[in-house]
Amino acid sequence: MGEFNEYLSVFIDESKEYIQLLNDSLLELEKNTSDVEQVNRAFRALHTLKGMAGTMGFEKLAKLCHRMENYLDVVRSGNVEITSDELDYLFAGLDMIEKMLQAIVNAGSDEIQEDTNSLIEVFERIAKGEKVKKSVKTQTLQESTEVSQVREFGKKEEKTGKVIIGESFAQEIIKDVLEEAAKKNIPAYHIIVNLQEGTQLKSARMYMVFHTLEEIGLEIINSIPPVEDIENEKFDLTVELMGVGNVPQEKIYDKVMGVSEVKNVIVKPLKIEIEKQSPEAKREKEEAEEKNKEQKKVKVTQTVRVDTEKLDTLMNLMGELVIARSRIADILKKYSIKEVDESLAQLSRITLDLQNIVMKVRMVPIEFVFNRFPRMVRDLSRNLGKEINFIMEGEETELDRTFVEVIGDPLVHLIRNAIDHGIETKEERIANGKPPIGTVKLSARHEGNNVVIEVEDDGRGMSREKILKKAVERGLVSEEKAATMPDEKIFEFIFLPGFSTKEQVSELSGRGVGMDAVKNTVESLNGSVSIESKLGKGTKVAIRLPLTLAIIQALLVKVNDYVYAIPISIIDSTLIINKDEIKVVQNEEVIVIRGEVIPLIKLWHVFDMQHEETPKEMNVVVVKSGTRKFGLTVDTLIGQEDIVIKSLGKIFSDVKIFSGGATLGDGSIALILDVGNIVEGI
Amino acid sequence: MDEIMEFEVLVFKALNQEMAINVEMVEIVIEQTEITPVPRARKIVEGVINLRGKIIPVISLPILLANESTSSYKKIIIAKVEDVEFGLMVDEVVGVLRVKSNELETNLGKMNTYGKKAKGLIKKDSRLIVYLNLEEILKEITGSEVA
Repeated sequence: MGEFNEYLSVFIDESKEYIQLLNDSLLELEKNTSDVEQVNRAFRALHTLKGMAGTMGFEKLAKLCHRMENYLDVVRSGNVEITSDELDYLFAGLDMIEKMLQAIVNAGSDEIQEDTNSLIEVFERIAKGEKVKKSVKTQTLQESTEVSQVREFGKKEEKTGKVIIGESFAQEIIKDVLEEAAKKNIPAYHIIVNLQEGTQLKSARMYMVFHTLEEIGLEIINSIPPVEDIENEKFDLTVELMGVGNVPQEKIYDKVMGVSEVKNVIVKPLKIEIEKQSPEAKREKEEAEEKNKEQKKVKVTQTVRVDTEKLDTLMNLMGELVIARSRIADILKKYSIKEVDESLAQLSRITLDLQNIVMKVRMVPIEFVFNRFPRMVRDLSRNLGKEINFIMEGEETELDRTFVEVIGDPLVHLIRNAIDHGIETKEERIANGKPPIGTVKLSARHEGNNVVIEVEDDGRGMSREKILKKAVERGLVSEEKAATMPDEKIFEFIFLPGFSTKEQVSELSGRGVGMDAVKNTVESLNGSVSIESKLGKGTKVAIRLPLTLAIIQALLVKVNDYVYAIPISIIDSTLIINKDEIKVVQNEEVIVIRGEVIPLIKLWHVFDMQHEETPKEMNVVVVKSGTRKFGLTVDTLIGQEDIVIKSLGKIFSDVKIFSGGATLGDGSIALILDVGNIVEGI
Repeated sequence: MDEIMEFEVLVFKALNQEMAINVEMVEIVIEQTEITPVPRARKIVEGVINLRGKIIPVISLPILLANESTSSYKKIIIAKVEDVEFGLMVDEVVGVLRVKSNELETNLGKMNTYGKKAKGLIKKDSRLIVYLNLEEILKEITGSEVA
């Protein structure tokens, strides 16, 4: 059972990848319905999904994929053209596949409430129905027979209504791979390996052969006997392999012969019979090749799935290693031994490299977040009847994986806002002399030690007057002061809870929740949000996040001999104040800096510590929380340092004033202040 | 006759008595070290220590069991229960002891002032050892407010 679960999680992960792939190609197809390469991609994704679902025993899922695939196959052969209606069916199918996968995640079964059968029927009909119509065409005759040959197995299955699993899938996959290789002119080989008689560890030797071949770049797609049997030594002395790869024949021979106890090797180029294709298909092949040259190839990287907990541990140990190294360095400085210095310098370099790599391991491309947006924008623009040109840039930008999980929702909100409120209706746009199609741009890039994500639209922009009116109404700012406020300050009002200038609340956004949630989420990640907007021109919202959550820059301060850390990202300034600079307003202590009234929070109060109530001179760290500023009093400022944030764990879940702890170079611990909670008085 | 089971416990001294916890839950015993207090945490939590880069909470047994505060302790036993690591401040570690199940008295009646926090009393030769229930103790320190 445990093993099944293990397979299940792999199945789910991989299915998600293929669903994404399918989603991408459908979206591409929507832009250009004659894009054969995309049909192929969608077909392959469905094909793999079907195979995986079949082996896992999810019959319904397999059946749906199968019918969608069949339909695409007909499209692929050029008999049927895709129109937007069919695309809608495909999208509906995609949604259903996603739902089924979700049901599998939740309940372990692909049963869903939606009516899958009628959709399956639709696919059957559009595949068949169209074929009948098109059969008027003359030259397609030969092709359609070919198609039916390829599909023969599937057809039989349909008649008997059996489960669609079994070895034939494996055969089809092999066929697919070979076809693919042939299209790209990559040679395929048939390799027969004979081991010496009396070979002791046959499976180990064969493993060496497999390994060697894979190392030189040959992808092994099939073996007789199957791999499981080889692993269990269930074979005599001969193994036949099928492999694809850009490797010369002699090299394969030499390499395999290089494995000990291999008696002899026969390497033959593998002929692929499917090559005898109609001129139509040949043209398709050429086109595909051309496309391949133009388009950047889909990157295939070797990956290993790692438990994120292990990554966190690795990060933790890394931090310790760095600290231990500096401690050794400190101690050895006293003695200045030349030989040691050299090795120590080397150790420093290695730890630095290691640190960089470990940091990188935690990073994932923002693509994982961006992926879902094209579909969302498509649905939204249809709902609202607005045509949107959605541009994404910098999907490859990497950021800490912890961000990826939480940054999605704020972005969803910003994009919805841009489309719903930002972009005007077509008529309005034309009336204002703008292009009828609105543009929404989502981009990500690195900027120093930050990742900047921007959502930009060319819509109506935000009205300074409207926002100010509302702000004055709500008593957030006086009318006189409002007149001189810079735009950025004014736009900051919309981040306040419940602040919305939209009179009409739409189904999608503008409910007054949202922008403040966006800001809260981003700030909880030690990031910041800013808005630029020009009335009639558009709005740009920029989210700025640190590269990683695990390591932050912090100001170390001391209160009663204990060290505490304050994240630099929220610090406004530091200053020294005198006892008599403190004023009392409504029983609260405040200080006035450049005309700004700033409440004072004595950290020794927050910490319930015994401390002189009001020392003569105090260090004050001015921090920002939302749009407000607060002064935190401390005993001494130690300095700025990069710290590795560690969770305090379950036992301290009731302690809200600290967001974590960090170990310092001398082995002591600095607790990290959660300033948001401290100023709220929690 | 019930079958006699044997188990191992780590015996230590705290509150002028011998106490024990199941050896399987013990990660490591360390010397007295600097404990960083965590303001606003519950009273039973003495603070946190840096154990090879991990930040680990330390529990004061005297406060937990008898509501007595003490600053004298020599060792910290790092225990791991249900994936939560925490330290217990103790006066002295005596050693590992093999106990037969019939040497554990679970029905303490009125003598049991520690409630669920103790599983029973180990009677070995002339020694009396309080056998603590770490799972229950963890529940108490992560659960509802105690202090």
